Amino acid sequence: MGVTCVCQVPVAEGKSVQQTVDIVHKKLEQLGAVKQGTFCVDCETYHATGNVSGQPTKLLYMMHNSETPLSCMALFEGGPCLIADSNFDVLMVKLKSHFQKCQGTQGGVWYCDNELQCQRDITLTFCVFPQVEYCPCVVPGDCWNLTKEFMQSFLGPSVPELPSVFAAKPEGLFAPSDGVDTMTQYLELFNKLRKQQIPGRFAGKKV
Amino acid sequence: MEAPPVTVMPVTGGTINMMEYLLQGSVYDQALESLLHRLRGLCDNMEPETFTDHELVYLLKGQQGNPFILRARRSLSHPTSPWHLRYLGQPEVGDKSRHALVRNCVDVAASHSLPEFLNEMGFRMDHEFVANGHMFRKGAMKIVVSKLSRILVPGNTENTERLSLSYLVELNVLAPAGQDNMSDDMRSFAEQLKPLVHLEKIDPSKQRH
Repeated sequence: MGVTCVCQVPVAEGKSVQQTVDIVHKKLEQLGAVKQGTFCVDCETYHATGNVSGQPTKLLYMMHNSETPLSCMALFEGGPCLIADSNFDVLMVKLKSHFQKCQGTQGGVWYCDNELQCQRDITLTFCVFPQVEYCPCVVPGDCWNLTKEFMQSFLGPSVPELPSVFAAKPEGLFAPSDGVDTMTQYLELFNKLRKQQIPGRFAGKKV
Repeated sequence: MEAPPVTVMPVTGGTINMMEYLLQGSVYDQALESLLHRLRGLCDNMEPETFTDHELVYLLKGQQGNPFILRARRSLSHPTSPWHLRYLGQPEVGDKSRHALVRNCVDVAASHSLPEFLNEMGFRMDHEFVANGHMFRKGAMKIVVSKLSRILVPGNTENTERLSLSYLVELNVLAPAGQDNMSDDMRSFAEQLKPLVHLEKIDPSKQRH
């Protein structure tokens, strides 16, 4: 795995989500990308049922990526992140009297790969999230300009600024082997959508 | 209609319910070498694995009922290995003729951010200790002979004090729920360790003050 950037693409004017995704896919294919398969990223939210300290309840996010099927990631927004094996999900069932599940968020992901780079789209009900991974490099500062230029070639002006997870370590290693930085980016985007109060439940779509 | 107990449900929600079958005993320090010699003869043909582990026991107090207990363990001899998080359920009351203690067990391998993450979840460390000793295997059975030491300064695993003049001996098996014949195999093995050590079914809940 290499440096991975997840961004958000607004739905094109007068188009549906599916049509927007099709436009992005067509542009990728014109660049030489080849569809490889599909995978899934999902996120479940838990909140503590008891609040002894009187402080605001923190939300615990459990995320899974089908690219790493035996692992799960548990994150507190802005807090520590835990990578554990799939038995952690069993443990959360045991903890159900202390942590209850909120409504879930799930996305279906389409995966395409070419020789050097791979790109994935995740579609939620009202948004499209492309994910670009530059496989040969693990230092964000060394490949951000290249990654940004690639994203501009098929996303146009929708290219984001440097993700916040990179800003903290511009010269440091990306640490892609555990996927924490990638999942943190997904979580930030999921929460941004929630705060925008997009109606209804996020529904997964495989493209 | 209530859900049947975990012990008779091999699978819940797509996940296998694992049970720990346990027998425990102890030997004085001076009897350790005799016990290790006997175990080398009875167990699978391998040198026993030695270990030095640091275990922290965390509690999460709810609004009612007993606190939720989790045990986080890391290897001091292999510091880069993942942490091991363990949940142990209450001992199953069930069949009193069962030879071993049986309780639900969930084992999780976790990254090194585990202590910080548990604190963020609301868990608080209750106590910690260092365990070092030997581990043997006989098929699915695991035999652990360990010396427990109290940590004198919190977090400082270099400064410890032995808790007793004896070694804790544990014989355990992890198996899916419903395989009660395991306890018969364990009893047969335990018989071969007599009179060096008497392994018994000890209910931990009866030992709490």
